[in-house]
Amino acid sequence: MKNLFEKLSGSQKLAAAAILLGLFAAFAGDPFDNTYTKINTKEIALDAMNNSDKVDVRELAEWLIEAKADFRLIDLRTEEKFNEYFIPSAANIQPAELMNANLMRNEKIVLYADENTTAAQAWFLLKSKDYKAVYILEGGLDMWKDKVLFPKLASDADAEEKMEFAKFSEVSKFFGGMPQTGLEEIDKAEQKLPELKLPASTTLDIPKKKKKREGC
Amino acid sequence: MNAPFYKFGFFSFDVSLIVAFVIGIGFGFMLERGGFGNARILAAQFYFTNMRVLKVMFTAIVTAMIGIFYLSLIGWVDLSLVYLSDTYIVPQVIGGLILGFGFVIGGYCPGTSFVSLATGRYDGLVFALGVVAGIFVFGELFPYISDFFYSTPMGKVRLNEWLGVSYGMIVLAVVLMALGAFAAAEWGEKVMAKKNGGVIE
Amino acid sequence: MTSLTHVLTKFKTAAGEKSHEHVVEAKPYSNPYYVGVGLGLVLLAAFVIMGRGLGASGALSTVTALTVNTVAPSHAEGNQFYQGYLGDGTTNPLKDWLVFEVLGVLAGGFLSGIFAGRIKVKVEKGPRISSKKRLVFAFLGGALMGFGAKLARGCTSGQALTGGALLNLGSWAFMMAVFAGAYAFAYFMRRQWT
Repeated sequence: MKNLFEKLSGSQKLAAAAILLGLFAAFAGDPFDNTYTKINTKEIALDAMNNSDKVDVRELAEWLIEAKADFRLIDLRTEEKFNEYFIPSAANIQPAELMNANLMRNEKIVLYADENTTAAQAWFLLKSKDYKAVYILEGGLDMWKDKVLFPKLASDADAEEKMEFAKFSEVSKFFGGMPQTGLEEIDKAEQKLPELKLPASTTLDIPKKKKKREGC
Repeated sequence: MNAPFYKFGFFSFDVSLIVAFVIGIGFGFMLERGGFGNARILAAQFYFTNMRVLKVMFTAIVTAMIGIFYLSLIGWVDLSLVYLSDTYIVPQVIGGLILGFGFVIGGYCPGTSFVSLATGRYDGLVFALGVVAGIFVFGELFPYISDFFYSTPMGKVRLNEWLGVSYGMIVLAVVLMALGAFAAAEWGEKVMAKKNGGVIE
Repeated sequence: MTSLTHVLTKFKTAAGEKSHEHVVEAKPYSNPYYVGVGLGLVLLAAFVIMGRGLGASGALSTVTALTVNTVAPSHAEGNQFYQGYLGDGTTNPLKDWLVFEVLGVLAGGFLSGIFAGRIKVKVEKGPRISSKKRLVFAFLGGALMGFGAKLARGCTSGQALTGGALLNLGSWAFMMAVFAGAYAFAYFMRRQWT
């Protein structure tokens, strides 16, 4: 056997190796099976416990007013809902598309949907794929509407609450919202979402272009 | 190990350009070693007198195919993160035919023309300029042919998915096909050499 | 090899140089299978490090789009194809992976050529055709290649080599079409090469 192998030329040895590897490959299983990931459960549990993975809607509002650009805001809702309204600068990516969306593993990603659940699921998905800095917008778009777009002032508010309300009214107006004093309850239906004045988010287009050119 | 490294954010875009340059050096070096900088050797392929191109190309495909298969199998590389271009079957086949005509007329493909001009060949330089002209024509016609360009989309599809067999089976099939082609090429070269009076170019 | 030297001598004479009795022979090309393994490993390195394959025509597309954009910016702006290579204007289009890779290809080809003594300023052609004609054909072939490569979404490097190793259906169909087209047309071009 050894003699036979030594007799082969270099090219023939290569061919023999290729056949062996090919034969083994045919029965070795699926290369995609091994895309399982190890999850650091402790880290994830800790993140979830001390809420370090959440972003408050008012915090986000401040970032947007300051025009911070060190994070990517991802809207996980359907395209229809997204076209109706989205938080400025958000990009619309469906949860199923997250893996193909060319997000970078080292950038700060803030996820939101209507409520927390979808965002939490997407958060887990990204975390398990080793995305370093993923955050959930606490309370989702519902909370954004409640606290940023249509903040309410209770009728029995004290002076401190009133002052805070005045401050947030400004924030609300910045985003085209409608602060409510709460003296007369406005019907939910009348809370009209602000018209989208901003052009559709540009953050999504750039990686798309790059992606197209990944080929030849 | 988490690979592809770039997709896991191990280095920045700017660093990736340095990586591109280094990988390009390896690419160009191997193409030149293979004789791809010489139009006559590339064209000899189509007259069965010198089958180096087929040998180099299929050996490279088999090597990279086996490599990426096993690296994914042991979990070092996430194969789903390695870019796979979308299939648009009809435009790609037509494009391939046109490219084949261009290959035998011009003697190069874009990559090999760079190697050829780097080793001083005028025809490689002229060919590369021709490619630019061809791309310009395509760009100008793009508004009119974009419907065709985007026709028959099949998404990202691999041979094994299309044929409904396992990935490994196709790996084996490609290996066997390549070895068969190599054997045929060696035999063909000998036959043609006899015919041409014993000269293999 | 003999005919190569012959052609070389002839070309040198045509170029007005003194034809030397003794032409330094370039080293023969390496074993194609070894080179293939080397090329395959370079491709594999691209997969593992970058998560993408090799390419060539993409870089020329960037150059083309940039040229059009310089000469007629408004024209380029209305064209979806050029826009794809120009980006959103926030970065220089030449700051592109494929452009840098192709610069590497030029350097790598040159290095290998130097080591093997294969750098020669000349026109590579068959014995029965003039240099001028050969250059015309090179340009024509290049133009067809450029057009075909864009239609097929890649050239031999980006589709055949890269997609081939990843078992991409479109790439294999493309590869078969390239060989079919070339072999079908080879007969008509035989005067150029043999």
